[in-house]
Amino acid sequence: MSKYLLQRIGYMVITLFIIATATFFLMKLLPGSPFNQLASKLSDEQMAILLSRYGLDQPVPIQYFNYIVGLIQGDLGVSFQFNNQDVTKLIMNRLAPSAYLGGQAMIIGTILGIVLGMVAAIRNNTWIDYTSNVVAVIGISIPSFVFAGLLQYYIAVKWDLLPVAFWEGFEYTILPTISLMIFPLAICARFMRTEMMEVLGSDYIELARAKGMTKSTIMLKHAMRNALVPVITVLGPMTVSLMTGTLVIEQIFAIPGLGEQFVRSISVNDYPMIMGTTLLFSVLFIVVILIVDIMYGLIDPRIRITGGKD
Amino acid sequence: MRKANWLLLVLVVVLSMFLAACSGGDDTTEEDTGTDTQQGSEGDSTNEEGNDGKVLRVVSTSEIPSLDPAQATDSVSIQYTDSLYEGLYRLKTGGEIVSGIANEDETVISEDGLTYTFKLREDAKWSNGEPVTANDFVYAWRRAITPETASVYGEYLMSGAIKNATEIYAGELEPTELGVTAEDDYTLKVELVKPVPYFESFVAFPTFLPLNQAFVEEQGENFAIELDNLLFNGPFVLTEWDNAAGWKLERNDQYWDKDNVDLDGINVKVVKETGTAVSLYEKGEIDRVGLSGEFVDQKKTSPDYYSLSEATVFWLKFNQGSSTKGEYMQNENFRRAIAQGFDKEAFINIVYGNDSIPADYFVPSDFVQNPETGEDFRAKYGNIISYDLETAQSAWEKAKQELGFEEVSLVFLSGDSDVGKAITEFFKSELEKNLEGLTIELQNVPWSEQLEIMDAQEYELAFSGWGPDYKDAISFIDLWETGGANNDIGYSNDEYDALVKSVKNELALKPVERFEAMQEAEKIMLDEAGIGPVMQRKTSVLSKNYVTGMEQLNPFGPSYSYKYVGIEK
Repeated sequence: MSKYLLQRIGYMVITLFIIATATFFLMKLLPGSPFNQLASKLSDEQMAILLSRYGLDQPVPIQYFNYIVGLIQGDLGVSFQFNNQDVTKLIMNRLAPSAYLGGQAMIIGTILGIVLGMVAAIRNNTWIDYTSNVVAVIGISIPSFVFAGLLQYYIAVKWDLLPVAFWEGFEYTILPTISLMIFPLAICARFMRTEMMEVLGSDYIELARAKGMTKSTIMLKHAMRNALVPVITVLGPMTVSLMTGTLVIEQIFAIPGLGEQFVRSISVNDYPMIMGTTLLFSVLFIVVILIVDIMYGLIDPRIRITGGKD
Repeated sequence: MRKANWLLLVLVVVLSMFLAACSGGDDTTEEDTGTDTQQGSEGDSTNEEGNDGKVLRVVSTSEIPSLDPAQATDSVSIQYTDSLYEGLYRLKTGGEIVSGIANEDETVISEDGLTYTFKLREDAKWSNGEPVTANDFVYAWRRAITPETASVYGEYLMSGAIKNATEIYAGELEPTELGVTAEDDYTLKVELVKPVPYFESFVAFPTFLPLNQAFVEEQGENFAIELDNLLFNGPFVLTEWDNAAGWKLERNDQYWDKDNVDLDGINVKVVKETGTAVSLYEKGEIDRVGLSGEFVDQKKTSPDYYSLSEATVFWLKFNQGSSTKGEYMQNENFRRAIAQGFDKEAFINIVYGNDSIPADYFVPSDFVQNPETGEDFRAKYGNIISYDLETAQSAWEKAKQELGFEEVSLVFLSGDSDVGKAITEFFKSELEKNLEGLTIELQNVPWSEQLEIMDAQEYELAFSGWGPDYKDAISFIDLWETGGANNDIGYSNDEYDALVKSVKNELALKPVERFEAMQEAEKIMLDEAGIGPVMQRKTSVLSKNYVTGMEQLNPFGPSYSYKYVGIEK
């Protein structure tokens, strides 16, 4: 296992390096420069001073080399949008609300989704099943910002039950969490139902029944565990994307999260911020994939992560 | 029975997981909750204050990029540096320049207009209690022109104005050679290279704010990065600064004129979505909100609705230096046909839906006044080039003959936002309808790319605008000087250039003649349809009626003068 982990970490570093390289060069192809917004007020001389201040006057390969050296030392550089501010710090400050919201939405959404899917499978072709189906279709097809807008208008503005926006305590997280959790809930419900239906018809469930196990043991210990495998596959990446922030939800609820910087840094050519957010996303993604792989083994012993020969 | 048991079990499991999830969530943010709850309760108490006390509650559409005066280039940075610091002069609501640290009445300007001697108040203090002295200005100005500081406005405003600024920026002289000296602690002498009739505007602008040398040097690289790395001398101090979420200002107890600051404080939250800001306003959580898009139309009939004039003018740029269509653009009739061939009123209604005014000029109205008569710049030649379909179409026919074409296609450059697209679509349908044989191709690109394309003069027709940085018409007039840094339309006219040159030189000390020369210059340029003016922008807001001092926007610098804003209820 430890050998396996080491190997995986080795691959992770290589993957990250490739991502950093690719992003760096793609980023240099972006039109415009970080100082474009001011271009009309900058003399050529001044543009040169600004570029050299940030090392942007050097040839791209040298910039790349400098960047990688900084990266290895854990230095992501300073943001161009926020004068002199450390990218690592900026990202970390913004990651907290995003991760909290994303995590909360994932946990609640997944649990509700799994339960809904299970119930639908067990009670298939009843009104419960149909309701779960409708919920799932709505959740998958309607974008989260539509829910966000509706929730904000009715619950916060019209009925005055919860705050409209901002990030100041638990009650402020409720509406954004609901908006964000609809999608994972729907996906989980769909997957869970399909998988459960399949598992419930399999031989080992028959066997368990024949052994006279209680229905609850069969469902929770045998059926659910096996049905979870595909759900976990989709959950990993979804968790990452939710926890790194969702632009529209953050804007609607005025949450100081990271989602906005993902998009904005690109439109204003804030190179260090683009690299920082991309790398963060990649690291989280890779780690989550590793966790998912390990979880497969834990959930379904038939899957052996270390390969057959060990 | 078994079924019931099973259901119960599931219920218990789900509930316990749910609860665990919630409390787990709380645990993970233990560090934050301390500040969160604090903020929450403070938020509540300020809401009460908002009712009893005088705390202005507003939203900002962006974080503060920088509170270092030398680095302030965007409207948010400029707004809050103005509230937190004070320069020699400052702006009063509407843009009138008034005394700040220096008493306006005691300022001595030499006869040749080259030396300004400012007398500083002796009771002005920094928020750490130290006095604000002439040395603080000397230090800050030198810092702003030092090349390593890379201050955009430092070079833009000082070069060619303050003695030795150009040379210091080029690295030929030391920053200590800058033409600004502290005669004594409270006397500041500024030497200029040539008379700058609008120098008063400069010293009310953030780049010229003072800085406490000992403090800034102690902070080093960290200066202005966080709350603890800041020192203020303005009407307000910053008490909280969580950039992504918002910030709070309180009246500065050390401020010399604190008795004339009506507000106890200002609470600012970052809200980027107009819809959210409008909802907050309707729930009474904020006192003021800027409107855009559909919200202008929705709220137009509200008693809280106001339209504020800006000194920003938008126009069509005809690129006469275009490698593809330069020949067409150099033809006056061709330009005139386009400039007069679209309905400006309809444009504003369709694209912005607000109260912006159609502009037949490029120096805005309500911006500068005749120094003698006080008459607005626009009084003499009000509308120079207006929408006139007949004139446009006959010019179009003449252009066709002169240039020998029947059909022509032009690429129209604009932004890729919703507004940017609406702009290009309007012009496409309007101009193609009015001018036979014209085809408009649309080029919608991100803003930064648009600037790059315009700067390289690689466009044919573009929509663009300009807002001034100081209170003088030359800010607009010198845009079209031959070879000027911002002349990306390739316009060139000897008569125009001669006027601009005299305005900048021999007329500098003859305010009336200078003013009239600029009026003539504008007329010359527009009489040959050098550009196609479109509109002078207005901003639409919703504002609670108890907010005072925000009825007007300042034409340059900070949008509002919070020192003079009050709450009356």
